[in-house]
Amino acid sequence: MAALAATAGGLLRLRAAGAEGQWRRLRGAGLLRGLLQPDSATGVAAQRRLVAHFTFQPDPEPQEYGQTQKMNLFQAITSALDNSLAKDPTAVIFGEDVAFGGVFRCTVGLRDKYGKDRVFNTPLCEQGIVGFGIGIAVTGATAIAEIQFADYIFPAFDQIVNEAAKYRYRSGDLFNCGSLTIRAPWGCVGHGALYHSQSPEAFFAHCPGIKVVVPRSPFQAKGLLLSCIEDKNPCIFFEPKILYRAAVEQVPVEPYNVPLSQAEVIQEGSDITLVAWGTQVHVIREVAAMAQEKLGVSCEVIDLRTILPWDVDTVCKSVIKTGRLLISHEAPLTGGFASEISSTVQEECFLNLEAPISRVCGYDTPFPHIFEPFYIPDKWKCYDALRKMINY
Amino acid sequence: MAVAAAAARVWGSSRGLGRTGLLLLRRPGARGLARSLPRRQEQQHFPSLDDKPQFPGASAEFIDKLEFIQPNVISGIPVYRVMDRQGQIINPSEDPHLPQEKVLKFYRSMTLLNTMDRILYESQRQGRISFYMTNYGEEGTHVGSAAALDNTDLVFGQYREAGVLMYRDYPLELFMAQCYGNVSDLGKGRQMPVHYGCRERHFVTISSPLATQIPQAVGAAYAAKRANANRVVICYFGEGAASEGDAHAGFNFAATLECPIIFFCRNNGYAISTPTSEQYRGDGIAARGPGYGIMSIRVDGNDVFAVYNATKEARRRAVAENQPFLIEAMTYRIGHHSTSDDSSAYRSVDEVNYWDKQDHPISRLRHYLQSRGWWDDEQEKAWRKQSRKKEMPAQLRKQQEALARHLQTYGEHYPLDHFEKVPLYQSAPSLEHEKIVKTGDSTIITRQPANSNATVFSTTGVAGGSTPSQKAA
Repeated sequence: MAALAATAGGLLRLRAAGAEGQWRRLRGAGLLRGLLQPDSATGVAAQRRLVAHFTFQPDPEPQEYGQTQKMNLFQAITSALDNSLAKDPTAVIFGEDVAFGGVFRCTVGLRDKYGKDRVFNTPLCEQGIVGFGIGIAVTGATAIAEIQFADYIFPAFDQIVNEAAKYRYRSGDLFNCGSLTIRAPWGCVGHGALYHSQSPEAFFAHCPGIKVVVPRSPFQAKGLLLSCIEDKNPCIFFEPKILYRAAVEQVPVEPYNVPLSQAEVIQEGSDITLVAWGTQVHVIREVAAMAQEKLGVSCEVIDLRTILPWDVDTVCKSVIKTGRLLISHEAPLTGGFASEISSTVQEECFLNLEAPISRVCGYDTPFPHIFEPFYIPDKWKCYDALRKMINY
Repeated sequence: MAVAAAAARVWGSSRGLGRTGLLLLRRPGARGLARSLPRRQEQQHFPSLDDKPQFPGASAEFIDKLEFIQPNVISGIPVYRVMDRQGQIINPSEDPHLPQEKVLKFYRSMTLLNTMDRILYESQRQGRISFYMTNYGEEGTHVGSAAALDNTDLVFGQYREAGVLMYRDYPLELFMAQCYGNVSDLGKGRQMPVHYGCRERHFVTISSPLATQIPQAVGAAYAAKRANANRVVICYFGEGAASEGDAHAGFNFAATLECPIIFFCRNNGYAISTPTSEQYRGDGIAARGPGYGIMSIRVDGNDVFAVYNATKEARRRAVAENQPFLIEAMTYRIGHHSTSDDSSAYRSVDEVNYWDKQDHPISRLRHYLQSRGWWDDEQEKAWRKQSRKKEMPAQLRKQQEALARHLQTYGEHYPLDHFEKVPLYQSAPSLEHEKIVKTGDSTIITRQPANSNATVFSTTGVAGGSTPSQKAA
């Protein structure tokens, strides 16, 4: 029961293509275990958990921030929020269902610890949540707003783009809402379909005045979230929901910061640069391993971390070295953030490019339910694109 | 808690079932779920369910007759007023008995605003600023409410609340600077005219999208409550903006989160060309308040004392009780929506004149002042002259002086006999250019013939007409 209940949501089913019962070794760290029972009468697997399209790779235990504890992604978020409320007496957390702990358990225990005036539910209204958060931030207090799913952030789009992002500019710096942070679960989760899987970072990338951040792991998440909360600009922090339980690593208990607008080269290489953010970082990490093993190709893997403002220098420096760039994200291809990276890189590094820049992304359709395995830019699609670039 | 968390795991995070499931489990109470929750301490005696509804969502009696509630728009919420249209107090116990100085400040603020509006409207027509919005007819709503607040109460406005800033002594130069977008503008010239903001006077910078300030004001009020600041937040908006989703969001949040906020709706009859009959079908905005659980009142927005009284009491209680108040101030937008609008396209000039002549906040207050002996026609003339002087942009004053000097030498060539002559700058506050004119005669044309409305020398006449005169040799 515990194993079944362990995922953030439900069971992932695999339709038994080919009708043979097959045991499939489930990869995935932590609690993402399969429960496979071949149907005894027919020998067909009646119920199968889908293999996750990625393997979470924890980073080595950080040494420089003091004592660490094993945490998954949502626990790392809770830890960051706990630290924030402890340090900053003006900080408040609000949104739908945050009081009891949140639908993803990110705020468990905080209301009991800090009081109902600091951790509270709001009515079901995203434009209200963000508008309210802006108002708190205008007075100088720290506002941490939760949108229950990134898919539901759109009613708040006006408040974010027309108000939050422009507050300081339009008032000549008389007023600002820099102490606002908006958090939202983001990205595919295996069964989320149209309205529980979206990655809307590209809509916000087009908006000067806000910051947009996506972590790949618990350690990154805590440090980046703390940086967002402390940043003097309104920030949107997207949390890959599929990693909430699946990603587990050692995370410092005390607060620490991971800098914004700095991409991280998580693996150095010489033949091709791979760029992604959030869950997809783990996909391209695996692609890098496949490329090395099967093709002898050395990949440089970059986690972008901050989408806006993004670290142009790190990416360009890498492309100047490797001459090839592959960018991958779950969000649809057209107008996705890969197009911005691609455009800038070709401007800055044109003569260094050995092959056209490749974008491996979701298709230009709404995010499907049963077809998710075909929709997402999995490692095979990335590997294939990589191969083509190498052979260009 | 534990049960709710388990529910989240079983039903998952999908919004549909999960949300409902969580809701039901979160409100155990005396609703028959008690026995399934291991942590309940007390057992309640459950009366027969026929007696009273047990729903978590509403408490009321049962009724066995099918009846729809009829919205009451014919005789809706009454309009609170203190003065009649002649400025006489109707019910002496409602007279706020404000001291003369304060009431004179009301009057000067409203008339100065009116004068500034005339000048800046003209400026736009002359191409000197790009855009302007006047406040004609609504001066009472601004000044009455602003006067009832503390100076540190935070103000979120929409765009037709300049009188609030005026009452808080925002300098005319800064109003102008924002409209002109010049180097003196604290907003750094980034926004269209009338998008004022002032940190020291606690007036949040105006933005163009409508109603976005409403949930923001609620958040600010929540923060003020947490800070034990004894401050209220006031949020102004028009009856049109009240149709926005942000208004609904703001009202609901303010009530559920118990925020010390005054929602002040200026119902002036029009949202650009859209009359209220096309904006809503219910009984205005005040009637919505109770739907959210908000204390609400409708007032005569052209009665500055009614506005003052309502705002004063709302402020006192909002801070003391941490709850929102909704004031709907009924008024009339005498001017066009903006300089981009010609309202004769959608309403009759007669209608506008009616309100201008019969029910204007400035006239009503003037009647009150005059009946108290606190104001008279002499003071009126002097004040009007003075306030126009305050307004006049510097280059026009220079031109005016240049014309005065020119006429001293060449006056014989002009039809001076047709005009009354009044000394210039007789009652003006000390201005730097006074030094220049003290030396000689300082006569200048000031008025048109007596049978028209007395006005001081119109800037339109100067700037729109001739080129600046040369200095007399």
